[in-house]
Amino acid sequence: MIEFMFALAIGILFGIGVFQLLRRDLIKAAIGFAILFSAINLFFVAVGAFEGDFAPYVSNVEAGRSTSDPLIQALILTAIVVSFGSFSLVLGFVNIISRRYDTVDSNDINKLKH
Amino acid sequence: MANNTLLLGSLVTPLVGAIVALIFANSNRLQRSIGVLTGLIAWVFSVSLLVQVHDAGVQTYALGNWMPPYGIVLVADKLGELFAFMVNTIMIGGLVYTFRAHDKCMTYPAFIPLFLLMEVGLVGAMLTGDLFTLFVFMELMVLASVSLTAISDDQYGLEAALKYILISSMGTLFLLLGIASLYATFGTLNMAQIAQILLTGERPILAASSSLMLLCAFLLKSAVFAFHFLQPDFDTKAPTAIIVVKVGVYGILRLVTLLFVKDAHVMEPWLSTLGIIGILFGSLGALRTYNAKRMLAYSTFAQIGFILVGIGWGGTLALIGAIVYAFNHAFIKSSLLMLMGVVASYTKTKTANFGDISGIGSRMPRALGWLVLLGGLSLAGVPPFNGFISKLALIQGGVESGDWRNLIIMVGAGILTLMYMVRAWQRIFQQSPLPTTVETKDEGDSLFAPLLLIIVCLLLGTVFTEPLIQLVSATVQQIQDPTIYISAVFPAGPGQ
Repeated sequence: MIEFMFALAIGILFGIGVFQLLRRDLIKAAIGFAILFSAINLFFVAVGAFEGDFAPYVSNVEAGRSTSDPLIQALILTAIVVSFGSFSLVLGFVNIISRRYDTVDSNDINKLKH
Repeated sequence: MANNTLLLGSLVTPLVGAIVALIFANSNRLQRSIGVLTGLIAWVFSVSLLVQVHDAGVQTYALGNWMPPYGIVLVADKLGELFAFMVNTIMIGGLVYTFRAHDKCMTYPAFIPLFLLMEVGLVGAMLTGDLFTLFVFMELMVLASVSLTAISDDQYGLEAALKYILISSMGTLFLLLGIASLYATFGTLNMAQIAQILLTGERPILAASSSLMLLCAFLLKSAVFAFHFLQPDFDTKAPTAIIVVKVGVYGILRLVTLLFVKDAHVMEPWLSTLGIIGILFGSLGALRTYNAKRMLAYSTFAQIGFILVGIGWGGTLALIGAIVYAFNHAFIKSSLLMLMGVVASYTKTKTANFGDISGIGSRMPRALGWLVLLGGLSLAGVPPFNGFISKLALIQGGVESGDWRNLIIMVGAGILTLMYMVRAWQRIFQQSPLPTTVETKDEGDSLFAPLLLIIVCLLLGTVFTEPLIQLVSATVQQIQDPTIYISAVFPAGPGQ
């Protein structure tokens, strides 16, 4: 059941993320960007943890129980930090752009064309 | 497995340099010196590593002494080290350029640290043997270069930066997704181990889709046709010192020669087709641009197209051609971008629009015009420049593979290159000024760094041709046998 919920959540998050990213509103696009990153992080987590697994403590391993993959969780932490960094950078850009152009509508932010 | 400290050195030096430069944030002059010094040290490291890799085979470094496949391993094989050497050399050019540049953004305390961090990201992506670390380094490179563009003097740099980070992060997102699928399938992130499992002919369920995701991410990174739309904006607005280096081309080469060797024959026709479309689109796009830097960005699509066609042909000579092309093009294009940056630095608004800069050449040092012409000829592949050598090597690869249709298109597009480069030169340096031409300043950026790179181009096309071809031949010989890479990471034998 947990696996199914994971799959469903990842799918929904992906859908929302892509939809938001394609919005004209830059702030919504930035939020969509963050959601998309969370979807991928969740996918990564789902890869390493299955129903019935125990937390990867030494005591559990020594007791011979099947544990979830600890490496995944280290990777996820790194991925979250990376995504957080790029998300904050995006938000910073949007912030300055909104002041410089007086809009967050990506259709009006087209000075590069000329 | 012996740890080679040089490997760590060439990666950590720019990182340390960035931190030291941050410490001296209030002295810009000192920061620039630290930047050039760091670049030189990293270059020395990478040269000695290149020599060692060619003398003694693939070098490795297990970080924290965690043996692969459990720990992160840095691997310098001939391909990775060649590209890392290229990055380090061009970075010196960029750092020297910043030394004498008048751009305001280069006086910001964050500029040199960000620049060095970009170097860390590029070199790291080329020297890592671990997929997740590859993702982290690529993201580091993206964030650093995007920040540099955002702080550039151009008032629309921020817009370009936002576009670039959104699209480029999509690329790294897909890279991460592909890496996650690979981990789900193989339970490892070590490139050598994954390659080893895939070499046995086993095809787990997610392997094909993850290979596609990785391929898309790398295509986006190298701005191939259909993934190209962000590049002109970015190249036009980025500070001049930021330079095109093709981490994406490196990634594609890794994919087709190490990770997915057995599936390479499926990818290769696609790469050829995308490359040919890119050549035509890029050359024609470059003909009708309104901005000199933008023209160079379009021309990059075309040149990347040449490289991709070479990879797509896939034969020994074609791969040699592609790598030589990538190597030479990085030098030519960065020198040309710098030259256009120098041209733009003579105008008050730092613009490179043809309407504004037509005919301002008469108010600039004469050497600048000749250098632009030389760079353009080199890009178009006129002897005795290195552009000629790379075109020759690539065409030989095409003859070997017998793909005459694409070969003819490629040679034809080479003439287009000559057209747009010479036309740009004439517009800037031969015309009399138009009424729209802007005011110029008496003094612009120093010509020293682009001159240095043009000299490197000239040397690569004459004296160093033979060593370069030999170097690349040895590289291709090595990458055509993925077991060399694998056995360097796992000397104890498969599965250890």
